[in-house]
Amino acid sequence: MSKLLGELIEALRCLPGVGAKSAQRMAFHLLERERERGLKLAGALDQAMRQIGNCTRCRNFSETPVCTLCASTTRDRHTLCVVETPTELAAIEQATGYRGQYFVLLGRLSPLDGLGPQELGLGLLAERLGEGEIEELILATNPTVEGEATAHYLAQLARAAGIRPTRLSHGVPLGGELEFVDRGTLAHAFGSRQALE
Amino acid sequence: MGIDQQPGYVLHLRAYRETSLLLECLTRDHGRLGVVARGVRSARGQALRAQLEPFQPLLLDLLARGELATLRSAEPAGLPLRLSGNAGLAGLYLNELVVRLTGRQDPHPALFEAYAQTLPRLAAAESPGWQLRRFERDLLAAIGYALQLEFDADGGEPLDPQAHYRYQAELGACRCGPGEAAAVRGADLLALGQDRVPGDARGLQSLRRMMREVIRFHLGGAELRSWQVLAAAMTRP
Repeated sequence: MSKLLGELIEALRCLPGVGAKSAQRMAFHLLERERERGLKLAGALDQAMRQIGNCTRCRNFSETPVCTLCASTTRDRHTLCVVETPTELAAIEQATGYRGQYFVLLGRLSPLDGLGPQELGLGLLAERLGEGEIEELILATNPTVEGEATAHYLAQLARAAGIRPTRLSHGVPLGGELEFVDRGTLAHAFGSRQALE
Repeated sequence: MGIDQQPGYVLHLRAYRETSLLLECLTRDHGRLGVVARGVRSARGQALRAQLEPFQPLLLDLLARGELATLRSAEPAGLPLRLSGNAGLAGLYLNELVVRLTGRQDPHPALFEAYAQTLPRLAAAESPGWQLRRFERDLLAAIGYALQLEFDADGGEPLDPQAHYRYQAELGACRCGPGEAAAVRGADLLALGQDRVPGDARGLQSLRRMMREVIRFHLGGAELRSWQVLAAAMTRP
């Protein structure tokens, strides 16, 4: 195998779920049939890797210092929603019609992974909370042990800044049957039941 | 080797491949194990995924081959436990302690016992400090580094409740002046040894400092990440 081909295959293996075999298939596919789009891929990859950084206000991926969401003048500046990853930001954008702003932690408090307040950019978050515009901090970290611990910590930051922290509620999935819901979720949903209006 | 209905807890988990998780589990008879849970991050695996959170007592069916075991099934062993707020942070600290101080496939049934008892205590306790000191004491004893909390290291005399000591991991309690930074009162050492809550907050604080030194020694001078991460996050009364 040629040296360049070997390097390409090795490089493709950095993608999630791509092993030696798939990497080889991808490389051959590009060389045999998709030269032009392969070049386009290379160009896009090169540009993205060099130019995309993190927004200085919300830490989401952005090629400008302030991302379009943060720069937008039509979004509500009084609510801030904290998520763990950009993927989750996208999920909330698509599903909820939320019109406020975001803050992306790029992780969650996790001592065993070496992720602490500093790695999560909580200094920047505290700064934003201190600006005085935000009235509600929506804690949309995942309902995992580490996500809950993170939410607990962030709620303290919010209260210290005089801001109302709220947490996504946990419960039975829509169209779910109680019989098939796992015990933890059911116990949680039962414990946080709400009065019917 | 098949392992069936093994009592265990998930200590830590991280994403592995497309839809799998890599778990670090503490089991009663096989110690700490690395376990692959295949397919649990897909929509179909959701019900099993929900069980695989830290602090939940589980019964695990595993297939152990080589370094990593494979999860065949997991079912809850008892009611789900909720550690919220500071108790949750304290739980993360427990998990880091166990991961850092024990090796894989090195069973310590006494450690498992102490861990299983500590979780509900954390859930019930107002502040986690004392529960953590008890667990640290039992963890060290289970892995063969038991503290000497009856006699001093100078002459093997019984500890004097009125005296002050400096606890050195490799020696034991050595008498020192009350002004020393690392000084612990004899009464507090005795209380820890006899599983009684120390008389005041100062006692608990000095035990915390002492345990940190001892643990640092057994980690070969390294720090626990929890000390930095959680110190900032815990609410102090």
